[in-house]
Amino acid sequence: MAEEKEELRWKEAEIRRDDIKHLMVNTKKLAGMYSDLLKIKREGWENVLKAKVKRAEKEKQNG
Amino acid sequence: MAEFEALLTAKAEWKPHQIAKAGDIAALADAASALAETVKTTLGLASAGMEVVKLMSMLQNINPLLMALDALADIVIKQIQDLKEAGYYYLYVDPYYEKNVASKQKYDYGFEQLRNKAGARIWSEKDDQGNYADTIVVPTKAQIDEGAVKPHLASPRKLIPAGYNDFNPIPDPLETASKFPTFTTKEVVNEFVKAFDDEGDVPRYKLLGKISSAPKIGADVYDVDGNVYSGWNPNLVFGLPLFDKGKASEDGKIVKDYVAARKPINSRVAPGKPNQLGNTEFDGGCGAIAIIIAAPDFNQFHDVFNKFSQMFSDIPEFSATTGQNLLDSLTEIITPNDVTVKLTQVDTNYGRFAEGDVIGGRRYGSYGTIRTVNAAATVATTMTGQKEVRVVDDVGIPLTFGGKEMSVTEDFDMNPEKPDGTFRWENMEVVVSPIRGIDGLNPWVPGDTVLEQEKRGTYGTIGEDLFPNYVMKGQGTTESPHSSRVYPKVGKVAKETLMILPASTPPDFGGIQIKDIVPGWGEFFQTLENFVKQLKGMISDSTVFIQDMIDMLAQVEEFLQHIIDIIDEFLEFFRITLPSEGVYALYIPNQSGGNEGIKSELSSAGGIPDLAYAAGILFVGTEADKLIAGGGSKNPIDLLALVLGLLSSDDDSTPAELDAAAEKAQAVKEGIASALDKGSKEREDWQDKSMAEKLGSLLI
Repeated sequence: MAEEKEELRWKEAEIRRDDIKHLMVNTKKLAGMYSDLLKIKREGWENVLKAKVKRAEKEKQNG
Repeated sequence: MAEFEALLTAKAEWKPHQIAKAGDIAALADAASALAETVKTTLGLASAGMEVVKLMSMLQNINPLLMALDALADIVIKQIQDLKEAGYYYLYVDPYYEKNVASKQKYDYGFEQLRNKAGARIWSEKDDQGNYADTIVVPTKAQIDEGAVKPHLASPRKLIPAGYNDFNPIPDPLETASKFPTFTTKEVVNEFVKAFDDEGDVPRYKLLGKISSAPKIGADVYDVDGNVYSGWNPNLVFGLPLFDKGKASEDGKIVKDYVAARKPINSRVAPGKPNQLGNTEFDGGCGAIAIIIAAPDFNQFHDVFNKFSQMFSDIPEFSATTGQNLLDSLTEIITPNDVTVKLTQVDTNYGRFAEGDVIGGRRYGSYGTIRTVNAAATVATTMTGQKEVRVVDDVGIPLTFGGKEMSVTEDFDMNPEKPDGTFRWENMEVVVSPIRGIDGLNPWVPGDTVLEQEKRGTYGTIGEDLFPNYVMKGQGTTESPHSSRVYPKVGKVAKETLMILPASTPPDFGGIQIKDIVPGWGEFFQTLENFVKQLKGMISDSTVFIQDMIDMLAQVEEFLQHIIDIIDEFLEFFRITLPSEGVYALYIPNQSGGNEGIKSELSSAGGIPDLAYAAGILFVGTEADKLIAGGGSKNPIDLLALVLGLLSSDDDSTPAELDAAAEKAQAVKEGIASALDKGSKEREDWQDKSMAEKLGSLLI
């Protein structure tokens, strides 16, 4: 016996835009993480600069 | 009347659509893509071209932050690619804004019938003596036919929308009249089905480039898969994309990689109905999502439609980039903008128009409520008449010339000042809030007589769709004795003045101004990339260089925070779920019956109520060769159903790659934590590194 096909029905639906939501969420995470990485890098360079200035001052003091 | 006249040639047309390829969403996707690519590029550069390259590769392996960042950038790129590759056909049916289908007004014109204050129609019934007396008892058709009862028509006669219907006099025409033109849910479904039947709506492809560079007439050409076709003519339009096989081959004769070698020779100028390789009668896989926005009253319809259009602003028809947007257009239907009307010859014997008066144009059917009266503009009407005056001599005897009495034409003031210093006729300027009549919104036409109106019952159907019915004040007393007549205030339209439109009320989608901000992202990332490339070749330990580096990094951090803030704002909008009330969806999963199968499913699907105001959009996706987005289906319609939330009401149900993204994002989070946590192994490893190693990984 042929399988009886179920009739499709319209229904009230809560439409979402998960495509955009998920893309934005991931982009936000990416921006946040990249920012964290850059912060570490910046702080590293700041330390390098501080050390450099300190060293220069020391050398100056030592003549 | 004017704005809703049926557009006889109006037709809803199929169009192609790819998510993330239009409007604000496209701009955001491009920006996200630029960010991800930049991250990839800079991470790559960090491990190349430097003396510490070997150490860097080791760092890459142990530094979870870099790895996770790289993985997340991959996910974002993939996600955008999936969205861009998933193409659909869509059919937009809109009787109100695009007006690509014709909506209907439910009324006929007829003579105005008098009504009592409650709005009941007044009939004249013949008594035994043959005299007519007024009654509000609705007669039978037989009584009307035999002349025992007749409608008491307004005097003088006036044709109005939803007036007395001689052919069907018993039902009150106001009960079925609608202020707004209707287009029902069933009509939308019919339009969806009809769109598959248009034989001429097929894809069309036209020659790309110059004829001289195209294959010659009669040359063999190839479809996307490399199947050969004869009958090529560069001057003709064909129904499928065609290619020249190209010349990339190892021995100059055999094309080893057709996909790489093929060159398109035509491009699509019309998308046509959903098709596979140009064939609209295909039997292959085809699926659809139909969404109908519908409501029993126009206000509710307007609200839901507005939200829907904002949510789908990547569909060009919903985009607010040019001119008046959809929201403004629909709002104007419900609450038209105020207009300034200059009135002349306002007869003060019957009173001056005042704030709150409802006025109406006698001939052209304009209606409105007076919001304000510009007192400074109320001045006497200049009414100069001319009269012929006989020329007389000093004693009053007419002079003659050639046997005829002589006369001269003299001007005279028809609106003289009264003893109390006032004038009978005045000019006034009023700001009017227009009221839609049964036949729509009508303009104030110069010369039309403006009369004070009063309410006589209501028209419309139910609830929010019930509106007051206005008639001329004293309309029922025009045949009464003079002493008992009621006279309306009266004047004439001099002209309608253009008013500056009010500014839109934020927030709206355009109010976020994503489209204005986002384009700058690309440029920024380009600058950043160039900066990184420069760094690659100029590693230096000069103080100036290091300070530049620090400043640049701080700027990038600031910019990334700016991006995060914008995304937060954007996400706030998309967190809103469109309310289910008023939105009806039908998801037809991929089926093997082609377009005919979709048509059949659309026609037979039940469960949608017949509501008066409706518009809709139908997405159709055809099955392709390869699996898409997560590998669950070959038909992008299934992906669309998933992201629109039609497959499950559970918010957690996301495509596989989105789940993976979430997992990886978690790993990323943990990675950062472990990289920064005091006492963690990575932290210890980090501390063990030399300055050169640290610099290597810290450099962008």
